[in-house]
Amino acid sequence: MTVNYKLDSMLELRKYLWGRMITLGIFDADAYWSDNLGESIIPIFPVQQTPEMNQFLSGKKHIVYDKIGVSYDTLWLICTEQILFTVYSTDFSEINEIRNFMIDEFRRMDESAKDINKSAGFNSEKFKFHSIYVADMSPTAPSEELQGFYSADIILEAQYSRSTNSSGRYI
Amino acid sequence: MDYSIPLVQASSGLRSLMTASKGKVFKESLVAQISAYVYYNAQVVSKLSSNAAFKNKFREIIFNQIDKDFAEFVDAQARVKPKSLHHVYEWRQTGDPSARLFKLNKLNTEGLGFSVSYEFMPSKTFASTEGNRRHVFTKKASVMEAGMPLKIAPRHSKRLVFETNGYTVFMPEGASVTVKSPGGASVRNSFMMTYSRFFKSNLVNVSIRKSGFQQLFNKSMSKALKLPAEIRTVKYSFSPNTLSVQADAALASAFGGAL
Repeated sequence: MTVNYKLDSMLELRKYLWGRMITLGIFDADAYWSDNLGESIIPIFPVQQTPEMNQFLSGKKHIVYDKIGVSYDTLWLICTEQILFTVYSTDFSEINEIRNFMIDEFRRMDESAKDINKSAGFNSEKFKFHSIYVADMSPTAPSEELQGFYSADIILEAQYSRSTNSSGRYI
Repeated sequence: MDYSIPLVQASSGLRSLMTASKGKVFKESLVAQISAYVYYNAQVVSKLSSNAAFKNKFREIIFNQIDKDFAEFVDAQARVKPKSLHHVYEWRQTGDPSARLFKLNKLNTEGLGFSVSYEFMPSKTFASTEGNRRHVFTKKASVMEAGMPLKIAPRHSKRLVFETNGYTVFMPEGASVTVKSPGGASVRNSFMMTYSRFFKSNLVNVSIRKSGFQQLFNKSMSKALKLPAEIRTVKYSFSPNTLSVQADAALASAFGGAL
């Protein structure tokens, strides 16, 4: 069977984050409806932001993410990955809300990982998170990048493994 | 402070106890052995912290990890916030590890410590690839980071010609242009702030832990502290010089190629 290398732990994490933030009412999916696409856009984006997207997001809170680093040690089945989330909002309190949510959700290491593993929609056949924690969090400050927005960085460090066959290759 | 000095001083007091008479066989051999044991351990620890090769390896293993993690941190920040950090990369390659214009330097300090600083490297790529305009802005990173206003004057041609807002502007002959915020207002001090954030936050601690020095150190130290067979056998007299040489040999064996 062909291995799907498009699968990524970061995308699983993003999926989980979005689900939780919708459930908790931190984000309103309807506010991100795109008439052009005829569907709602999830406002958690990878780094490639197009000018059209900036226009679409004008004034709306959103999150931009990227991987900082990926490392495998001698215990090569377990991957350690750092992910940077930058939260943008015109409302100071909305950023603090997301920061507090992230702390509450991800400070518990193994317990936080368990929550992701058993969440609805998680690709448990391919991934297993072992531990996740908040490696760093910056203060909320006016953004230099997007005028009129506040921003804050949240860095999560996750340890996970991907399901493998008997030779240690991805399945 | 180098703690190995008081350690050596304290352990040197054991020298006299390492030589016993055979009159009181059991007790005095035990005292001599215990003294030799403590003296040997003190020798290993004190020699370790003053050993130049070990200190270099210790610093190197931690610095290399910090260097890697910091650079990756800046890369990610630059990809997420290109307006703020494009100046520390070659033109049109923001966030690309191969296009960095910054690097960390290590300065050794007392004991096992070291301090870290950064420097900007010269840009080598053309600022613009359009038309015949070929200019390398060598000090791109440092000038933009400092927010220094730039005066651009014609050197090889009579006048400046440039495009702005879709229009081509022809300046009068010999006239210069002043750019108040080269690279944009967002870049000023942004690298310094990113640097400061990394080194004042938990990220640097994560990096030090990740370097694996603790595991390697503990493993090698356990090996070096393993007592020589001589001390483990009943003897009435131990030579401090021999123990000192054995401590040297044990350290060389434990740390020689392990780090």
